[in-house]
Amino acid sequence: MTGIRTENLGGATAWILHRPHPSVQGLIRQLGVIGLVVREAWPELPAEAIGADFIFYDADMGHDEQFPWAAGQSPMPMIALIGSEAPGRLRWAMEMGAHAQLLKPMSDKGVYAALLVARSNFDRAKSSDAIITDLQNRLSARQTVVRAVMIFVMQGKTEAEAYDLLRQTAMAWRVTIETAAERLVANHSNERGNDDGRRIDLA
Amino acid sequence: MKRTLDIGVLLSRSGMYAALAYASRLGVLQGVAEVNADRTLDVAFRVVERDPEGRLDRYAPLCREILRDSQARHIFGCITSASRKEVIPELERFGGVLWYPVPYEGFEASEHVAYMHACPNQHLIPLLDWALPSLGKRAYFVGSNYIWGWEMARIARERVAAAAGDVLGDRYIAVGDTDLDHIIQEIRALKPNFILNSLVGDSSYAFLARLAELKREAGFESGLTVLSCNFTECEVESAGRAAEGLVSAGPWFEPEGGSGGSFHEIARQSVHELAKLLHGRPGADVLPLSELVQSAAGSGHTPRLDPTNLHARQPAIIARLLNGRFHEIKRLPPLAADPYLTRQFEASHDHPLLKVVS
Repeated sequence: MTGIRTENLGGATAWILHRPHPSVQGLIRQLGVIGLVVREAWPELPAEAIGADFIFYDADMGHDEQFPWAAGQSPMPMIALIGSEAPGRLRWAMEMGAHAQLLKPMSDKGVYAALLVARSNFDRAKSSDAIITDLQNRLSARQTVVRAVMIFVMQGKTEAEAYDLLRQTAMAWRVTIETAAERLVANHSNERGNDDGRRIDLA
Repeated sequence: MKRTLDIGVLLSRSGMYAALAYASRLGVLQGVAEVNADRTLDVAFRVVERDPEGRLDRYAPLCREILRDSQARHIFGCITSASRKEVIPELERFGGVLWYPVPYEGFEASEHVAYMHACPNQHLIPLLDWALPSLGKRAYFVGSNYIWGWEMARIARERVAAAAGDVLGDRYIAVGDTDLDHIIQEIRALKPNFILNSLVGDSSYAFLARLAELKREAGFESGLTVLSCNFTECEVESAGRAAEGLVSAGPWFEPEGGSGGSFHEIARQSVHELAKLLHGRPGADVLPLSELVQSAAGSGHTPRLDPTNLHARQPAIIARLLNGRFHEIKRLPPLAADPYLTRQFEASHDHPLLKVVS
């Protein structure tokens, strides 16, 4: 029945990477009220924090080595705890991959919003990454498609006929056009490898 | 000997929701009179009152005035969520506490507010969990166009969807608006099993009147049950006969047919609760609310408020209005508040919404 729970925050784990300080008390209290399990760490996040649902991290005294992952590569939403608004500190907080931020001292305000905003930004970034990877794959496949079409053209087809043939081949093999093109190009290279000597003879 | 402490009252005596504020105000004043007459309590209260006249911009300045110009640290008042949000910065600045005695939509837990009435896991969720199996799964939502109406519909939509029900419509009208033709026409066409009415004030009374007309038409005698989490006895007179049959959820209904309802009663109880928290503890009125609640445990009084989220534990009662009085249909024992709906979301209904089909 988790689907009906508003935003599914109940029982989620949040790690707070901040030295023990009164300014963090409001955050700890509010996370508890919302229903999260709170863990604290300083100066380093332990490896088990990889399983956390959210990370709150100090932007004032933080540095890259505190995290068991590379900058910007967190496997969960990250929320920067900002005291100093000096540009250098803000830049570091952004480079670490802040999906949302809270200003110090943390109070009962803004914590729920930060959780939802951070998760939404994290999810969006993740799905964008997946789309980009897919597009990159397709982009590199385009070259293969052009080569497959050229094989048919060399066999006397027009370009339009060649594309149509490629499409029909893909349908017959029940694969994508990109995959069909890849196979055709691979087969053609093999045949050409065998035929190379004869072709030279003919030339 | 009693020590006398100032308390603030910030309730509107005119404006859109004056009827609700009137009930709460009488509840506070009755509570004060009872506390002052109670010899077993060593505190008495003196009321410092300001009237925001139902105007949102007046709440913050008047709250500040009470906190700055009197000794009062505890203020009873606010009806709308918007007014509550207005006063919170003033409470933070002056170390004040707002005793908020009416239902609200949740998703807040200020350290300066005592949420004494009910939030959705204590009103809306139990109400829907009763309605969906009893009335049917075709739902229609109508509400005033502000946070209460929006959030009630959003939570209800999740709940109806989880029960494999259908939300046939979801309409909002401006606060105070009584032009309801399009909504009534839609309801006539869609014939929902129930209508969650989160309209407030005049809009609500106009809607109930128009719906009562519709129900007199052939084919509409049954169904179209109106549900509400904000309609109480204090609005029965304004709504008149048209409200008959309405099903409401709340922590308290008048056992003897009184007219104040939970808006009056919870306000009255809130004053008693503060008196009990302060009894025998001079100087405790300036403590932060969570500390006041936590440290009360030692003095033998079990606080009504959860020390962490500062919301009251409340029973969920579902009752139907018949002949001008609410009659209890179902009662759930006192439930801890879950303002962010992240805990025990399932604790409020007794049959699972998903069944294994074999």
